[in-house]
Amino acid sequence: MGKKYNVKDYYCKHTTRCSTEGRKKSKRFVGHNVLKADAWDKVTGDAVYPDDISFDDMLHIKVKRAVHPHAVLKNIDISKALKVSGVVDIITAEDIPEVRQYGLIVRDQPVLVGVGEKMRYLGDALAVVVAESKEAAKKARDLIKVKVEELEVITDPFRAMEDDAPSIHPDGNILITHHLDKGDVEKGFANSDIIVENKYQTQFIDQLPMQNESGAAFYDERKGVVNIWASTQWLHDIQADVAQSLRLAKNQVRIIQPTIGGAFGKKEDVSVHIHLAIAAIRTGRPVKFTYTREESMITQSKRHPITIYAKTGVSKDGYLQAWETKFIGDTGAYASSGPAVVHKGMYHCTGPYNCENVRGVSHAVYTNNTFCGAMRGFGTTQAAFAYESQIDIIAHKLGMDPAEFRKQNIYEIGSTTPNGQQLNHSVNARETIESAVELSGWKGGNSK
Amino acid sequence: MKKYGKGMASIMFGFGYGEGFPDHSIASIEIMEDERIQIKTAAADVGQGVITTVIQIAAEILRINPENFEVIQGDTHKTKNSGSSSATRQTYFTGSAVKKAAEELLANIYHYGSIEFRSNHPELGVENGRIFLYDDPDDYITYWELARRVKESGNRLEAEASFFPVTYEPDEKTGQADKVYVAYTFLTQVFEIEVDTDTGIIEVLNVYSGLDLGKAINPKNVEGQIEGGTVQGMGMAVMEDQIIKEGKTLNAGMTDYLVPTSVDIPKFEHSFIEDEDSEGPFGAKGVGEPTLIAASPAIANAVYDAIGVRFYELPITPSKIKKALKEKNEENK
Amino acid sequence: MKISLTVNGQLREVEITPYTRLLDLLREDLGLTGTKEGCGKGECGACTVIMDGELVASCLVPAPQADGSEVLTIEGLGSRDNLHPIQESFVETGAVQCGFCIPGMILASKKLLDENPHPAEEEIRLGLSGNICRCTGYAKIIDAVMMAAEKMDGRESDQDG
Repeated sequence: MGKKYNVKDYYCKHTTRCSTEGRKKSKRFVGHNVLKADAWDKVTGDAVYPDDISFDDMLHIKVKRAVHPHAVLKNIDISKALKVSGVVDIITAEDIPEVRQYGLIVRDQPVLVGVGEKMRYLGDALAVVVAESKEAAKKARDLIKVKVEELEVITDPFRAMEDDAPSIHPDGNILITHHLDKGDVEKGFANSDIIVENKYQTQFIDQLPMQNESGAAFYDERKGVVNIWASTQWLHDIQADVAQSLRLAKNQVRIIQPTIGGAFGKKEDVSVHIHLAIAAIRTGRPVKFTYTREESMITQSKRHPITIYAKTGVSKDGYLQAWETKFIGDTGAYASSGPAVVHKGMYHCTGPYNCENVRGVSHAVYTNNTFCGAMRGFGTTQAAFAYESQIDIIAHKLGMDPAEFRKQNIYEIGSTTPNGQQLNHSVNARETIESAVELSGWKGGNSK
Repeated sequence: MKKYGKGMASIMFGFGYGEGFPDHSIASIEIMEDERIQIKTAAADVGQGVITTVIQIAAEILRINPENFEVIQGDTHKTKNSGSSSATRQTYFTGSAVKKAAEELLANIYHYGSIEFRSNHPELGVENGRIFLYDDPDDYITYWELARRVKESGNRLEAEASFFPVTYEPDEKTGQADKVYVAYTFLTQVFEIEVDTDTGIIEVLNVYSGLDLGKAINPKNVEGQIEGGTVQGMGMAVMEDQIIKEGKTLNAGMTDYLVPTSVDIPKFEHSFIEDEDSEGPFGAKGVGEPTLIAASPAIANAVYDAIGVRFYELPITPSKIKKALKEKNEENK
Repeated sequence: MKISLTVNGQLREVEITPYTRLLDLLREDLGLTGTKEGCGKGECGACTVIMDGELVASCLVPAPQADGSEVLTIEGLGSRDNLHPIQESFVETGAVQCGFCIPGMILASKKLLDENPHPAEEEIRLGLSGNICRCTGYAKIIDAVMMAAEKMDGRESDQDG
């Protein structure tokens, strides 16, 4: 203890200069292809990503994760693991009774699952192993013995919503429900000549940024500040969540952003951060923790699989009359962005088309699958698969060119969304169709 | 046999957190004596290029070449909250905060300049990092010299601004509200594909995009977003699937979880609709997420066009196509 | 055990264990962190380096196998102030987003252009198909390799002339 670690180098790495060869005489910079300021560091290998950071005396972390997707932890035995040469510390829940749960929106994720508590998916952490080398940490992790009492594994949100399904969390398995009700859908369907009703299903997707979750940390005892270098999409939010979890003041947690190797929603959530902080504070030494690809895929958020029911009514002259929808999203074991994703999809249920009468309900539902959170599109990606399939199906039923059918119903200034938001500026949806039609030489639906 | 098909999808995306959730960005800019202009923002550059975007915006307002700028980002103890790099919000939110800070800084340049020249704003010109009297452009003060003199007087040549537009939480029972999202981005894509009826493989030949983005701050970066987003959307449409059975992932690794590679990608043609009509910086709207969204329905619609089979489940894998074609052939017998 | 190898033109002696991967040797023992680990299974191409003229996934090469070899990493190709034409082209075409795949991608491009100085687009796609990029959709990366081919062509004839 008391050793000083030289961290200065890493504070300065994000300062970046922008060169603009050939643009020296221009007075306009917006709207021009100014070269990317960070590209030079990235093509030379100079850019420092989290796993590229290392300190003298640095320790390495591996985490023992759940052995069953839904089970009560009955016993955890670290005695053999502690004997592995190079192991410095093995942290279990009983070592950190003061640490609180964390989570992006709902704080429902345990930092470590304790004896008598539940593991809810295979990514839950049971113990943090801190060792002189990655190999020692891994060896010790694999020697940790765990006894569990297995519970019913719920993998299907429809099963999760049944009355006799065991509750994954104390308040039941439906995390959140939202409603949409605009106009009068009964009347709209009564005015419809064609009604198309379908069920759509999307899948679990990994954002798969090339850089896995990774970070380094060290505790500055003199200042009482834990410094964490880790990639995140929102520094200040991660700072706040880590601080509340560790019961520290916000300014006692410093998050420094190294270069980020992609995110796409996956780096919204806390990953390595709290485990790093705890290990750094307990050992007084710099620590590093990098997920393997496998660990990243099992442990961190996925795109929600959503079951979408869509019932769409249209008049025979091709105007949308009514749209009724239901979204059931599998949010997995923890809430993450789930309380915001599924209904955002529903809020976009009609796509960019005028429809006076809209009704919908959405549920985000807990299961024992890997938790689902943010991924590029945030629920609206799944929604678009449903609404743009519906639109195409209807156009074919009407015998209309799908592009013409779209244009006939497309939003303009003054249109209202399913939320009743009146669009009062920047609505050029029609022009997007016209330009795609022109670029592609589109000539109606049947290209054969 | 290879069957050709064409499919279209038009999508909308309400960007920013919206729904009444507090959503703001704070940024500051300082002119330093040593010929640097420093922008401070916590906006995370995850590769999308927000660093370059904010430099271009500040350079435009401050009328000085982008190469004079540096960006300090990503340190909770040096930068203020800029929200997340998500919700397609950084160009609009942090871009706006940087623009406001640059405008205020420009006002400061005029203010301190007018003191130095003992003159008034309308008589002063600003260009290429110099402030001067219109009457005598050769008698100028550089930004760096001005920064030095301001510092001598005990001040700094800097400005900070925040951008915090309001949205409203939808009604609990009906989901209705006046303004749920700050604005919407619109995109239409046409996909041309070929379905190999023997292997079931879908090859995407061409993708044509019409994007309503208000203004492309950096057109090449916008193209990069369209191309990258579309290819992720293609992955969703035809191959990506994390298979979780009984809570256990069966394909946890890049051997079995397949994503598009360089041999899978189409040729792209893009068209930007730039009416500069949003309330974002220079009329810009966000583009990050929307670029992914149209791909899966456009491909599903193109598959229908090619082989007359409608798919309701993603991904549309070769085995699903082969199975569907077999069923269709049996029906037709 | 001790091995010696030439990395970016410099002879290096390194003490390793039989289980050390070439990737670890480069990143941890030599501090050449430009070489990235994306999957650890040889699937993603982020750890690509050129060893004795061949592209290898350095996460799959046991370090002892590299004894006596010649290795080129991204750090050996060019520096910020003296970019290799391929690096220059990646900057100029906007082929870089998050950048994590880029060192491997650039080395794969180099190998491709060394063997085939005037590749057709299809050949570039094939040549880079072992390197996953999740950000760019590859289009600008292919542009970059085309541009690099032109630049290198020009420079080589300059030298010849």
